[in-house]
Amino acid sequence: MRPRLAAPVGAVFAALAFAATLWGWLLAGGGTVDLPWAPSWDLRFTLALDGLAALYSLLATGIGFAVTVYASRYLPLHLEHQGRSEADIPRFHFFILMFMGSMVGLVMAQDLILIFVFWDLTAIASYYLIGYDAHERDSRRSALMALLVTGITAVCLLIGALMLYAAYGTFSLPALIEASEPGALLAAAGALIAVAGLAKSAQVPFQFWLPRAMAAPTPVSAYLHSAAMVAAGVFLLGRFYPLIQKTDWLLDALLVVGLGSMAVGGILALTRNVLKQLLAYSTISQYGYVVFMFGLGGEYGAVGASFYVIAHALAKAALFLTAGAVTEATHGETRLSHLGGLRRELPFLMVASGFSAAGLAALPLTIGFFKDELFFEAALERGGVFPALAVAGAVLTFAYTWRFWSGIFLGERRSEAHGVPAAMTVPVAALGALVIAGGLYVAPFARLAQAAGEVTFNAPTPIDPAYHLDARAENLMALATYALGVLVILSRSFWIGAAEAFARLGELAGPERLYFASLKGLNAFSDRIHDLEVRDLRTRVATILGPTGVLVGAGLLFTPTRGAYEVGAIGPLDWPLFLALILVAVAAIATVFPRRHLTLALVLSSVGYILAVVFAFFGGPDVAMVQVLVETIMALLFIGILVLLPRKVLEREASNPIPRRRKVRDAGVALIAGFFAFAVSWSTLSQPALEESVAQEHIRLAPEAHAKDVVTAILADFRGLDTLGEITVVGIALLGIATLLSRGRLW
Amino acid sequence: MIVFTLGLTWTLAVLLSLLDGRKHPVGGIALGGLAAGFAGLLVLGWEVFTNGPVTMVAGGWPPGVGITLRADALGVTFAVLSVGVILIALAYEAVSGIESRTFPALAMFMAAGLTGLFLTGDAFNFYVFFEIAMIAAYALTGYGERARQLRAAFIFAVVNLLGSVLFLIGVGALYHLTGTLDMRMIAERVAAAQPNAALLTAVAIFVAFSLKLGLFPFHYWLPAVYTGVRPSVAAMLSGALANIGSYGLLRFGGELLPQELEMGATALFVLGTTSIIYGALQAVSRRTMTEVLAYSAIGQVGYILIALGIGGPVGFAAAVVYAIINSLNKLLLFLAAGLRGWMVGAAFAVGAFSVAGVPPAAGFLGKLVLFQASLAVESVALVALIFIGGALSFVYSFQIYQRVFWKPQARAYKISPSTARLLVAGVAGLLLFAGAWPEPLLALGQRAAAAVLLGGAP
Repeated sequence: MRPRLAAPVGAVFAALAFAATLWGWLLAGGGTVDLPWAPSWDLRFTLALDGLAALYSLLATGIGFAVTVYASRYLPLHLEHQGRSEADIPRFHFFILMFMGSMVGLVMAQDLILIFVFWDLTAIASYYLIGYDAHERDSRRSALMALLVTGITAVCLLIGALMLYAAYGTFSLPALIEASEPGALLAAAGALIAVAGLAKSAQVPFQFWLPRAMAAPTPVSAYLHSAAMVAAGVFLLGRFYPLIQKTDWLLDALLVVGLGSMAVGGILALTRNVLKQLLAYSTISQYGYVVFMFGLGGEYGAVGASFYVIAHALAKAALFLTAGAVTEATHGETRLSHLGGLRRELPFLMVASGFSAAGLAALPLTIGFFKDELFFEAALERGGVFPALAVAGAVLTFAYTWRFWSGIFLGERRSEAHGVPAAMTVPVAALGALVIAGGLYVAPFARLAQAAGEVTFNAPTPIDPAYHLDARAENLMALATYALGVLVILSRSFWIGAAEAFARLGELAGPERLYFASLKGLNAFSDRIHDLEVRDLRTRVATILGPTGVLVGAGLLFTPTRGAYEVGAIGPLDWPLFLALILVAVAAIATVFPRRHLTLALVLSSVGYILAVVFAFFGGPDVAMVQVLVETIMALLFIGILVLLPRKVLEREASNPIPRRRKVRDAGVALIAGFFAFAVSWSTLSQPALEESVAQEHIRLAPEAHAKDVVTAILADFRGLDTLGEITVVGIALLGIATLLSRGRLW
Repeated sequence: MIVFTLGLTWTLAVLLSLLDGRKHPVGGIALGGLAAGFAGLLVLGWEVFTNGPVTMVAGGWPPGVGITLRADALGVTFAVLSVGVILIALAYEAVSGIESRTFPALAMFMAAGLTGLFLTGDAFNFYVFFEIAMIAAYALTGYGERARQLRAAFIFAVVNLLGSVLFLIGVGALYHLTGTLDMRMIAERVAAAQPNAALLTAVAIFVAFSLKLGLFPFHYWLPAVYTGVRPSVAAMLSGALANIGSYGLLRFGGELLPQELEMGATALFVLGTTSIIYGALQAVSRRTMTEVLAYSAIGQVGYILIALGIGGPVGFAAAVVYAIINSLNKLLLFLAAGLRGWMVGAAFAVGAFSVAGVPPAAGFLGKLVLFQASLAVESVALVALIFIGGALSFVYSFQIYQRVFWKPQARAYKISPSTARLLVAGVAGLLLFAGAWPEPLLALGQRAAAAVLLGGAP
């Protein structure tokens, strides 16, 4: 298989998907797939092609197609510049297609968990595409940042979904829209979902990941990080809008966020020097308008937001592709300060991208004019300061769009350039043609936006954008925008200092700084606590015994101890037993003191021997016998091992001084552990032995087991499985020893 | 079926210990035998899930006198999971070339021990099987027989023997309090016991299982062991053996000592929270994959503890689902840590996404059930905790993923054998499949939780 084949395959898929969506929406009239997914959790695999889904699917597949065509030439060149093999091509198209599929799935999904799944799938595709040039540190850092910001905030979506499920018992979005009541819960869930959406759409204060994501190859920036994936954020707001709009303060919050993003994105776009950075900030500001319109609310807001997304996606994707083509034509030049005057070398591109730029700047005869018309109408409907703010935002767009386009094509020439392949200019021209087509005949786009707006608004939205040749407010606002825009462009030297100061302020105290500081701090903190980790065996044992004792102490505190601890009566017959037990205790304490290993072994076994005496007094001569046997073997084993160990090592270990601190700690831990064992045993043994114990049954049934005594019956029959198991344990131990000593040879 | 699977693995283990495991056919026999045992468990699972628990008493004695073997939804789930993990780890080792005579036998003993302990209905018999599995694990830890592994084995054995003693004390105390070793009878009778004695017994048992799980502050053995051993052994320890901890807490805590579990809920939340945060914070800046995984393991078991603390059908189901996913994650990640190549990178990424809870890898189901359980008890604090823990797992999973698989490496690596890589990719595929079609896992969790709550009554 030739790697280059991946591009045509991807393009064909995209084209088919686009055609299928168009067919499904226009001719088949939508349609729904509804399958059980996880019945025990009420999860359903529900996809529906409604207006909102149609809009975003058409964008995802249509622009995806344009971008794939573009990438068929761009990517081989990109890899060639980096000296990489073409074997990396299929990976690119795999993730582009994966993104396309998950985006289409996302916009059609009607089940909250399904939405979450597709939501994260788009993030995964984005992660791998940003990190496509993984050998560069910048790419890796940017990919990680995008993943962390969008991935972690996606969890908010999941939590919101589960909150809604807990309250209303369904994951189905239409059912939730029916059932949900305004209230604290709906507000909290709506806010969480909005956070996920805003982070994905790179809105303030999450905006910082998007400019970094420009580390991806240009087609990715054009597609994911401008037209499609970032649009998923505002899509989510649109999808959940019927729930969100039930809470007033949420709408106000959207207004604030939208305005903030418009301002930050717009002002920074005026100061950026690198082409893609300028466009990235422009994207932030453009989605700010959409969020702002959602915040304004009303039917104009709903339809306007949808229409804005279409117009912006067409124009912005084309401008990104232009940036990539220009950089390619000028041997890798990405800075506006080093570009200019390319009108002669790239005349076709200049015109093609000029259409899109005009569209973004909302000039008449482009689709962009209507996006601003609806935007202004929504602001006018709300009244107050909002129309003024809307004009201010549109002025910023006008100014930076001019800056981008004129900076490349007009003015004096500052760099060498050659032509670019047709596959890289035709998609730009096609998108530009759509921008103009929308300006001449807006009805199909308006219909799409209206259908989407109806889903968002959850009510009919009879809105028709059109040209009106009169002095209505929208037109005046548009004229004001152009006039003020020209003024801003001309007065650049007056405000540029302030704008750059604003940008620097953002670098010094913005959320990006916070992100890096917390990541660095987290790693440093991790290193510091890692130094506290325990590394020697003695402490490892101590850290188990100590906390166990503490837990037992806590247990004592929290349960009634009345009648739990009985001393019981000590009769004259108990005295020998009592004496023997005291001896055991003394011997056990004595094990703490010896330094020489041999002494220690002997003291240890003396504990065992005295215990055997205890058993004997207790009426268990057979147990006592076993105990003696075991102790003898253990003592011999210890002595044998000590003989084999080098004498010097033993002497050195025995004479090593023990630091005072360790002595104190060990004594403390020993006391706590002793207390623990004491408490558990005393508490348990204070309870009288039960009447109905299985022991009686064993005694009764022993003859049936054909055994002469109960112990034999238990070991060989009643609990024969245990005996077999313990024999196996000994066998495995032997096997382990053989592994160590003779490489596993048993004979 | 219980006798078949247990008997088969047990007998085969004994036979294998006489053979040289380095020889190809021996590895094949071990694999075939274990696969047959695994198939037997699947059949048993089918029976349990369609007709209810399967019970038998060894020797045909009345229940309580003889040892009861009982397969219910909880036990059989863990048995299938653990034996499956061992099977895959053994296959991984077999295709990479087994280096020790005893490896297949020890792995088989571990499988037999685990099968027995998940399928027994007797508290002391549980301890015996527990010993079989543990002692096989001590010996397996030393696999490779370099200083690193031997050191790990020594630490592992010393610390875990301590845990075994604690557990034995607990079983002894339970016997004294209830006069029986049969789990169901214990569950019936322990309610009548003096609360203080029952609680202290519960503490001993809790510590023993927490130690197995590697929960903070009983975790200090874990990083040294998981980083010291071979990848396949690490996969077995964290993917199969550690299940003893989660299963034990569910069985002994949820079923046998439910009142004590409820009383200790606060302690569970405190320890679970500390574990989640501590493990994740430690994992963030670790430089090697196994180190990150080891500390991640400490954090992940914290979630299981939280789910247990929440309790009830939702909490126990969450614990089971999380335990299954965690075990598969660890299997995948530890095996992938030993290999190189792009397919391994993709498999590791699936594991990393799973740990971070990103769909479609199954891990997101774990987060899903935990969030749901926390919301069921209306605890904002728990939701926030799981969120923060999840955020940290994003950071550590992808920092190490990028460091190993994205950053240009100074030394050229050798691409690992393709069969091993395919095996790892297969496990990754399983995780993706389980995430894309979540019904089996979620239903399994609910059934197993019901088994805990009803004591396995159909």
